[in-house]
Amino acid sequence: MASNVIERARGEGRVLLNEVESKELLEEAGIATSGAKLARTADEAIALAAALGYPVVLKILSADIAHKSDVGGVALGLADGEAVRRGFDGMLRAVRAAQPDARIDGVSVQRQAAAGVEVIIGMTKDPQFGPVLMFGLGGVLVEVLRDVAFRLVPLEPKDARELVREIKGFPILQGYRGAPPADLAALEALILKLSAFIEAHPEIDELDLNPVFAYPDSAIAVDARVIVSPAS
Amino acid sequence: MADLMQRMDRALNPRVVAVVGDKKPYTWLRNLQPFTGKVYSVQIDPNEIPGIEEMGVENYPSLTAIPEAVDYVICAVPRQVAPRVLIDAAQAKVGGVGMFTSGFAETGEELGAKLQDEVVRIAREHDIVLLGPNCMGLYNPRLGVRFSADQPAGEGGPVGFISQSGTHAISVSLLAPTHGIRLSKAVSIGNAVVLDVPDYLEYFGQDADTKAIAIYVEGVKDGRRFARVLREVAKRKPVLIWKGGQTEDGARATRSHTASLSSRMAIWDTLIRQAGAIRVDTQEELLDTLKVLLFAKPGYGRRLALMAHTGGPSVVITDAFSRAGFAIPELTQASYDELATFFNVIGGSYRNPFDMGGTIGGPNSANLDRLFDILERDENIDTIVMDVAANFMARQFFQNPERLPEFLARLTRQRDRSAKPFITILNPAHLEAEVLPVRQALQAEGFPVLPSFERAAAALRRAMDYRAQSAVSDQLSAPATPR
Repeated sequence: MASNVIERARGEGRVLLNEVESKELLEEAGIATSGAKLARTADEAIALAAALGYPVVLKILSADIAHKSDVGGVALGLADGEAVRRGFDGMLRAVRAAQPDARIDGVSVQRQAAAGVEVIIGMTKDPQFGPVLMFGLGGVLVEVLRDVAFRLVPLEPKDARELVREIKGFPILQGYRGAPPADLAALEALILKLSAFIEAHPEIDELDLNPVFAYPDSAIAVDARVIVSPAS
Repeated sequence: MADLMQRMDRALNPRVVAVVGDKKPYTWLRNLQPFTGKVYSVQIDPNEIPGIEEMGVENYPSLTAIPEAVDYVICAVPRQVAPRVLIDAAQAKVGGVGMFTSGFAETGEELGAKLQDEVVRIAREHDIVLLGPNCMGLYNPRLGVRFSADQPAGEGGPVGFISQSGTHAISVSLLAPTHGIRLSKAVSIGNAVVLDVPDYLEYFGQDADTKAIAIYVEGVKDGRRFARVLREVAKRKPVLIWKGGQTEDGARATRSHTASLSSRMAIWDTLIRQAGAIRVDTQEELLDTLKVLLFAKPGYGRRLALMAHTGGPSVVITDAFSRAGFAIPELTQASYDELATFFNVIGGSYRNPFDMGGTIGGPNSANLDRLFDILERDENIDTIVMDVAANFMARQFFQNPERLPEFLARLTRQRDRSAKPFITILNPAHLEAEVLPVRQALQAEGFPVLPSFERAAAALRRAMDYRAQSAVSDQLSAPATPR
């Protein structure tokens, strides 16, 4: 149950859910993710990778690390068990060197998602109006150009439609220069499920699905981070 | 909620009004001179009572002593006395209280905050419809309940105005009628501690007299509720939101002004857009947009015919509307063939824009009908914009006033038969005094009159964006295709 993940984190005095926990919550809410399993050792990671299928991605799991790739906490395109072992060991070394005081929960293992159009879907709370959902294209477009649009939660189908069309970069989702168009209906459905999920969980303070990959026939959350309010 | 709406309806449409604490020169009682119902006064100061009675107003020592039920109380007592007046109001079972008294939470003082808490407690406990405190209260023009002696009385209209600022409430209620916009009611809501913007919005949403709602707001206490109510009401009636405190400096001013929280404009913009309301940023935009919404047909086709005068203005009016996102298309060949039979092309042109001065001026004024006939028929044209240029067209009406009724009749004939929105532009130019009666005559016939190309274009854009999105949301209200 969703509340279990949240209660467990709160019980441990945490407000930040790691990627594995966050994706578990999202999956329960009917939101497709690239999945993520927790590995505490290289052997566990190899076993999980074999079960998931190669290539896989490893990411560091730590509540103390905000930008995983900055500290060597992401390894992409690992094609076999040997690569996973090297990736796992190398990642722990790099992260410990870069941020020695970071508490590390382990490493997440997931099947590497095929490339899609990267979008970001997030939620923050406005002191007056409550949860506000944000949508934008991922990467440089969101960071530099701030090409994002907002809607207050709860969203109606009309809001989801308008939200994805409101950003300046919308033509990229429509299939720019011969690229296949993204599945807008899937993005809208994901946004509406997220809105319902947020409505059902007032204890969630912030949330980032970054990136979500938009494909011609679906959309999945590839990374996720959920922040809950402290236990009262 | 239904109960609150009924109680608000009683207070905002009063038959009996009492003023508590009016003093020389008895501004509040004088404001009520056109009131169609009965006015009472409550005053215990022996220096004030004779003056009140000289005005023919019955005075009583307390609300509870008034011999009939009071629907609306104007409370103008010092702040320390305000809780006492509310207790009396509760005992007398009055409908509502407009509390002009200030000096509450907005002062930032402890005493003010404490008194406000007391006022809120009493009002809530006894279900008193409390406007304010720190507000001008109710303006109901139809019934003659006013908070300024300059406000017109006797005739109501379709616009409900909710204002967090008393001065804006006065200003809009004075200015709007001079532009032909009549109000159903205006409420100045002050500190809005018992009733807040969502309550008034909900009230105007179900008020049969109110067809459009305008709001001046700096902040609301329950943003989630405001968003919900706005969304619901905006589906049924146009809601224009003029948000004060949009800049950081402005937001600082709101805190000292009405003790309310202010929120970042991006969120407000989202809220307004999401609800399908209309954002306006100034009083001028508010009134301009209302004119188009109230006085033009509800179409939203963006292909315009521009009826203009002389070369330069024809170019500039085209720039103004094109920049605002409108198309100024060519007409059909059939229209051009017909125009060629009578249009004066010496110094004129009829491609669109229509440089029409030489064609419809003076003895040729019947050509205006022919031009309207063509535009009405032409399938490339959705909406008609006419510049009643002060120096060319309006001039002939103040020089030869007998021509004005004929002109108005031609415009009315076109407007009444057509589904195509029609707006007029009348620039005051250097002849403000002479132009004014022409503007008033157009307004009296129910035409939207905008004061410049640019303001006309912006107002038409806002009104049409609203019309278009409400038409789209009607289509989208069917469930989305499930995946």
